[in-house]
This record gives sequence, C-alpha cells and structure tokens, in this order.
Amino acid sequence: MQIEVKCSCGAENCPEWAIVELQGVVEVQPSHRDGIQNLEIGRLCRPSSDEKYTLTIGYHELSGTKVTLKKPLAVLKKVKRTDDGKVELDVVGVIRHKILFKTRPKALISRKFSTNSHFLNHSSSSICSFIVCVDFFIDLNRRTS
Amino acid sequence: MEQPHSILTGAEAVLNVQPNSSLSVTYDTLFGSSDNHMLLELHDEILPDLLHQSITLRGEPNEDVVLCTLSKTYAVKFVGTSNSVFLIPPSRHQFTQNGQQSVASVIEISPGNMELIETAPRLDRLKTLLAQNPYSSMEALQADDMEDDSKESKMGLCTWHDLVNKIQASDDELRNGLEALSAVEIDGFWRIVDEKYMGEILTMLLQNSILNDWSLDKLDEDEVVTSLVTDGFPHKLAYHCLHVYGSEVDEARGKSCVWTLDARRVCVHFARQVLGVGKMKLERFMEMWLKKIPDGMNANLEMLEGEVLTEKVGIEMWVRGFSVASLPSNPAERFSVLFRERPKWESKDLQHYIRDLKVPGLSSEGLLLKYTRRTQPTQDAEPVFTAR
Repeated sequence: MQIEVKCSCGAENCPEWAIVELQGVVEVQPSHRDGIQNLEIGRLCRPSSDEKYTLTIGYHELSGTKVTLKKPLAVLKKVKRTDDGKVELDVVGVIRHKILFKTRPKALISRKFSTNSHFLNHSSSSICSFIVCVDFFIDLNRRTS
Repeated sequence: MEQPHSILTGAEAVLNVQPNSSLSVTYDTLFGSSDNHMLLELHDEILPDLLHQSITLRGEPNEDVVLCTLSKTYAVKFVGTSNSVFLIPPSRHQFTQNGQQSVASVIEISPGNMELIETAPRLDRLKTLLAQNPYSSMEALQADDMEDDSKESKMGLCTWHDLVNKIQASDDELRNGLEALSAVEIDGFWRIVDEKYMGEILTMLLQNSILNDWSLDKLDEDEVVTSLVTDGFPHKLAYHCLHVYGSEVDEARGKSCVWTLDARRVCVHFARQVLGVGKMKLERFMEMWLKKIPDGMNANLEMLEGEVLTEKVGIEMWVRGFSVASLPSNPAERFSVLFRERPKWESKDLQHYIRDLKVPGLSSEGLLLKYTRRTQPTQDAEPVFTAR
C-alpha cells in the first residue's frame, strides 16, 4: 500500500512551529490532573539580548539556549481522505529552531509560589530507537512508550 | 482609530522573544485531545520532492515502512527521547487585545522524531512476483484467439500501479529493476518472458538474418520486427527481443531505428541453454557452445563471468551455470547463498557475484569487510574469502 505525504499549505508557506525541550519531566499537581488544558506550565524569559533563555517551572529555574536544528523537522498529521477514506500524511508545519534546556536547574527557594507544575530533572537524556512499521502510520492511537 | 497592539502568541512568540521580556507557556486548550503529530527529519535532498508532492510511504501494514522519493528509498527509524519535547504550533489568532499577555501553548509532548536512512530498494519481491506468471508461447497463441480481456486470465498479473503498491522501491528504482529483469509491459501488465520463448524468438531472428543477409551490427528495426511478426511472434515481443539482446545505434533520423546485437548477451544466452542440462566438462561445453554462436560473433569465457563457475574435479575442468541474476539482492542473503555454493572464494571469481550489490554508504570493499573473512596464506598467494 502507499501513503502519500502532502504539503497542503504549499511548502513555501509552511508555518513554522517551535519546540521547547527540557531534560526532565513536568509533573502537574494532583488537584489539576483532570483538566490541565490552559494551565500554565511556566514562564519563558529572555533576560538580555543574548540568545539565552530561562524557563521557570514551579520553584525551578532552567537555563537554556535557542538551537538551530541541523536538519529541520516536518510536522506531520494523519488525514483521512473524504472521498475514499485513504490515509494521507499532511505536512502542517516545519521546525527549524528549538529552545533547549539541559543544564541543572536552579532552585528558587526565596520566592513564594502557587504552582501548578513541578519540574523533575533528569541528569541526562536517554534515547531509544526502533524501525518503524507501516501500521504505525495507519493506527496513531498507539503511543510509543 | 488605534491599531490593536499585536502581541505575539504561539510559536512566533517563542521564536521571537525580545530581550528583557517573557511569556507564559501553557498547556493548550486541545492538549491531549488531538491525534498525535509526527516529527520527521528533513534532508535537503528530500525537500524538492516534498514540494512536488512526490513522497510516499510504501509497504504492507506489517512490514517495515520505507519512504520513497522519485528516485530514492529510505528506511524510517523512530528515535525516542526521555527529554520532554513541548510542541508549540503557530498561534491561531493574529492579534490579541491590549493588556493580554504573550502566551505560547503546548499542543503535545512529542515522544521523539523519525529519521531517514538511505537504503537499497527491496526488489527481490519484484523478481518473485513476476516469475509467478512468465509470458510464454502458449499465452501468445491464446492471445490471438481471445478477443475479450477476461478478467480471470489476468489474475496474479501486475500493472505498474500494482507494483508500486507492492514493491518497496522508488519509481525510478522500480523502473530500473524492471529493466534489469528484462521485463516487458504487455496489455498494461508487467511480465517476464519465459526464457525458452525468448530463445525461440532470438533463434528466428538469427535465422532471418542469414536468410536476408542482414548484418548483426546494423539491423533495421522495421525489417526485423516485420519478419518476426510474419513468423508468428507478437509485435511487442519481436521488439522486446531486439531490446534484450541488442542496443540501439544512434541516428534514427526519421527512418527506422538501427540495432546492433550485443555479443555478450547473445553468447550468455546460448551458454545458459547449453548448461541447462547441468554441469559438464569444460571441453564439451566449449564445443557445444561455440556451435551455437552466430557466424561473425566471437565468444570467450570472460563473457561468462558472473554466469558460470568452473572447477577442477580430478584432472578435468568442469563448468556449471551459476548466474548472479538468480541471487538475492539483500547482501546478507547474497553472501549466505554464495558461501553455501562454495565455502572458499577467490577475489577474481567473487567480484563478479557482488558487482551488482548496491548498499548506500558501503563500497564493495566495505561489503567484503562486513560479510566475509579474508585470509591470505602467504604474501604471494591469492587472498581467499570465507563466511564470517
């Protein structure tokens, strides 16, 4: 079978998406677990004219930089054609830069916060990889663990 | 009237944070509810094909997927990360009202992204598929009688569209694969012609050449095809015969094309015919083979490299058919078959049986390094290759 990859926005006009990447996991307070939509995760700041950024989550302050990706990423979404139900992949955006936070976070203990979220730092990141099967594209409810 | 103050939101906000400013990063209203987005690494070389909508994923649901551009094939690897990758789309609204703060919302946390690894096209299945129903003289005869295209007789046959859906290769690579198999499109279906039948057509062509005093390196296409059609062969196959055993010479110039028969291809054909019965003594083979070669054509054993194997049994030299075209195109399988045939190979023989192996990123030396063990008994001796 064939699954076509289309760019319905016409690649020159492909909107640019962004990634904020953290070396760790954000935990939401138990009281908010059922409805995290619209909840604030944290504040992203650029303190000076350098491309340096801070991200404050709960009482942690992370430091990071804007990174240009060596290879841009296409953002794909599965689409079901209305005429024959065939699955297609649509390129809905492109990512050329990300804001990457990978240093040890600083704990801000002197301020008082009401926070929704808490940041759990990982001392390093790990990757795992596998070869993709065709049905990965057909059945997207399968999440990778 | 005052213009509404445009405050950036979404991805634009994240990518354009001004010095001494900040924004709020939130979970989107639709966080967790939409279908997952997938992230795919884009190589420069893929971009043009993407713009022209000629990228497809190919494969059966349970197979490893490949991504195909017009001319290349890539394996797809998913690389997961333990980092939290917050995916932020562009904002849905252009302007926000005065007083509202800058917000970027996260639609999803991506588990990782997909990478592309250039890979050889998977063409072995093409061979198997087409070999199931070779076009034979029987079918040619029946085609004359049958006027209707009854669907049952077309079962198991593949159109180009069928092949594209079944074979994990780009369009260009698929076309090259068909060319390498000497496949021909008959009535919209891609077929391999039965070897015996091709032999009949070639023999008739050679006989007609003698009868009409044609030069084998200046064959007139129209004359050849007409004579073969008169002898009862379908037009398509008469032309295909020229294509399989010859090459077009330049300068058609409005007149009929001129072809020259390729000595090597013709001689290989007759060698295969002779060795069809099994192995034989080299002397006997040469006798029988040379008898079949058309006048004016020179045959020598070098032409049969990659087609036959010779070995000394006692004091005599024997020869048997062993064609590189019959071997798997996957390197691991290829070497497995080769070492089953012969545990030890010398480079001068082995090179002909791996010359068609194409693995992106691996030269033939690299292939040998990866799949064989090289030994050299003495400085002067020929290196010998064995299985790893």
